Amino acid sequence: MKNPTLRAAAAVAILGLGVSLAACSGGSTSASSDSVRADAEYSGPAVDITFWNGWTGGAAPVLVPKLVAEFNETHPDINVKSNAMEWADISQKMPLAIKAGKGPDVAVAHGDDVATYAAQGLLLKTDDVVDALGYKESDFPEGLMAAGQFDGDQYGVPWSVTPLGLYINKDVLAKAGLDPETVPTDAESYLAALEALKAAGIQGEWADGYVFTGTFEFESLLWQFGGDLFNEDVTEATFNSEAGVKALTWMTDLIKNGYSPANVAQDGNINALIGSETAFNWNGVWQTTNEALQSVSWTAVPVPQIGTEKAVWSSSTHWMFPANKNQDPDKSAAAATFVKWMNDNSADWASTGELPAQNTVREDPGLLETYPALAPFLEQLEYAHYETVAPGITNAMAEVTTGVNEAMLGKKSPKEALDDAAEKATQLLKQNKAQYGG
Amino acid sequence: MADPAIVTRPGGGLRPRRAAAGRRTLTAYLFLAPFLVIFAVFVVFPAVYGLWISLHVWNPLLDDHPFVGLQNFFDLFTPGSLTFEDFWESMGATGIFVVASVPFLLAIPLGIAVLLNRKIKGGSVFRGIFFAPYVLGVAVVSVLWRYLLDPQLGVVNAVLGLLGLPSDIPWTVDVPWAWISLVGITVWWTLGLNTVILLAGLKGINPDLYEAASLDGAGAWRKFTSVTLPGLRPVMTFVVTVTLLASANMFGQSFLITQGGPGTATRTAIMYIANQGLVQNQMGAATAMSYLLFAFLAVVSVLNFRLQRDNTK
Repeated sequence: MKNPTLRAAAAVAILGLGVSLAACSGGSTSASSDSVRADAEYSGPAVDITFWNGWTGGAAPVLVPKLVAEFNETHPDINVKSNAMEWADISQKMPLAIKAGKGPDVAVAHGDDVATYAAQGLLLKTDDVVDALGYKESDFPEGLMAAGQFDGDQYGVPWSVTPLGLYINKDVLAKAGLDPETVPTDAESYLAALEALKAAGIQGEWADGYVFTGTFEFESLLWQFGGDLFNEDVTEATFNSEAGVKALTWMTDLIKNGYSPANVAQDGNINALIGSETAFNWNGVWQTTNEALQSVSWTAVPVPQIGTEKAVWSSSTHWMFPANKNQDPDKSAAAATFVKWMNDNSADWASTGELPAQNTVREDPGLLETYPALAPFLEQLEYAHYETVAPGITNAMAEVTTGVNEAMLGKKSPKEALDDAAEKATQLLKQNKAQYGG
Repeated sequence: MADPAIVTRPGGGLRPRRAAAGRRTLTAYLFLAPFLVIFAVFVVFPAVYGLWISLHVWNPLLDDHPFVGLQNFFDLFTPGSLTFEDFWESMGATGIFVVASVPFLLAIPLGIAVLLNRKIKGGSVFRGIFFAPYVLGVAVVSVLWRYLLDPQLGVVNAVLGLLGLPSDIPWTVDVPWAWISLVGITVWWTLGLNTVILLAGLKGINPDLYEAASLDGAGAWRKFTSVTLPGLRPVMTFVVTVTLLASANMFGQSFLITQGGPGTATRTAIMYIANQGLVQNQMGAATAMSYLLFAFLAVVSVLNFRLQRDNTK
């Protein structure tokens, strides 16, 4: 519809249709004000809905407008306007915008933010809409629906997951006389490979103390050794448990035993893997789309099981329905239809380096044909751990990184670093509780 | 400050002069008004409002901001409170950076300015070269040096290795190396500004004074200490004050190059305050810290003005 007159005519027609539909639908708009209305397929008046997301990089800026355009074309009564901005900007603007009634009708947030928004009363409950859309817990990886719940209510609908994996530079393994096709799966085989690399003069895993690698490796190991970050009701940090100390000691031993250089800087490890200076790197699924990585012969496998059980860190993103001042229930209901459609059509989301959350999409054999590198990440989802759900949790999580950083840089012993960080984190949890309640 | 043009001169006809002066004052105020409005809205109001915020637990995400009196300030002086250790560690980090960077940021630009002030060939080219890094943003500078100074993969350590020197210096991840890097980068980045200001000050010194000093038998060093330095005093006071404040407000370099690490050792006061207020949403605590930092800087600035005051008049 390039012709502006035609477009205007169409708009008038749609608007007219909308008004008449609204007249017919009458009672159906009277949903309870704190929930998204439960419609399997939107049937209200024609609406414009706004959608905020933080997808400003990689393949998303092309893919998202394409998906939105496709949705708008197939849903004449819903017009979605997508608005991409930096994640940090969203978390600063959205709360105020929602309170002023100027927030979006639907948005995507990281798993560790959902509870923070929900605790402030900024989100509509989605229990009903989840039922109406026919979503069950088993439609998503285990534990993912729970990652969108706060205080017994559902506030998020899963969209994507991003687990950690073990990236391998095959050329480096071959250089050390190791078979690149035999991948380490447990502590024994992993350490054997590191030992063989060391004999060949290669430091096999560059272990750092920063977010994105060191912190997430530590969390994975903590769970593998049977520990957890916080206690059940998230009032106390427990990552300084015996399991935590074991996990972090295992990491500092990589340096002590010469498998890793000391003082690795942030991103040093993935850059070393790309530069064929090291063989292994624990990193997120998002690195599969790292263009520099494609210049070396690499593969990714599930992270080895170092501890007593299988576990791996993963983050997740969720759809949220903001409770704007004077939120139009029709718009929220239309947004729910949009969410359902997006999830059903999320196969290409894999091109952004994230895994679609919906099982049916991931289990479609077509996905792995297009994105074969994702196989090891899909495999790990059954034992993946997601972010802790508690309002304001990110400040306590920052202490985990500080602790890991201090231990990895040799400033403190693993136990001392974790004890200090846990003490601080527990104080912060108390502060969060006092401010956000819940 | 009394502008000599506006002051009524003695001996003149009093009445018409005063009326004219009044008109002129009014005109001046009218021209100053737009700035005053902007100053009031963007400086005075936030400053006073900040004081109000600092008396509350002020989470901007929440509707309720409980009044706590001076608790946020007391916390900063109570060992074991949530903010005490981190705040003073960050103040210490800022102190280290100021003490380590300000001398270099004064001495090196002064030396360069004196050299550039000689009538040398290509002087303006050199001036351009020294000033060039200053036009880069802090993000560009930081990303650039983070690559160059990477402990394992960086160019700097590689070159040191080629020269037979230690090639595993943790430039960006461990102290004291991180401080050396942060100071070095900041000096390289911002010395051009001070150089240009000092150079302008040098050009303002009357050449006759040097000639007179020569006639009195003064050597180069004596001329420097007895003509150049006193001649630069007003400019120097300005440069010292501005440099002190800029160094005390250091944020971007630590944030981007060391992430405040190792642990939180290079997290500066501004970095911690920004984190408290904008990341952790503790505006009350953050504003209280800002006022404390402000008090420190005010005292330092006043001391600086006192010390540099011209005592010969």
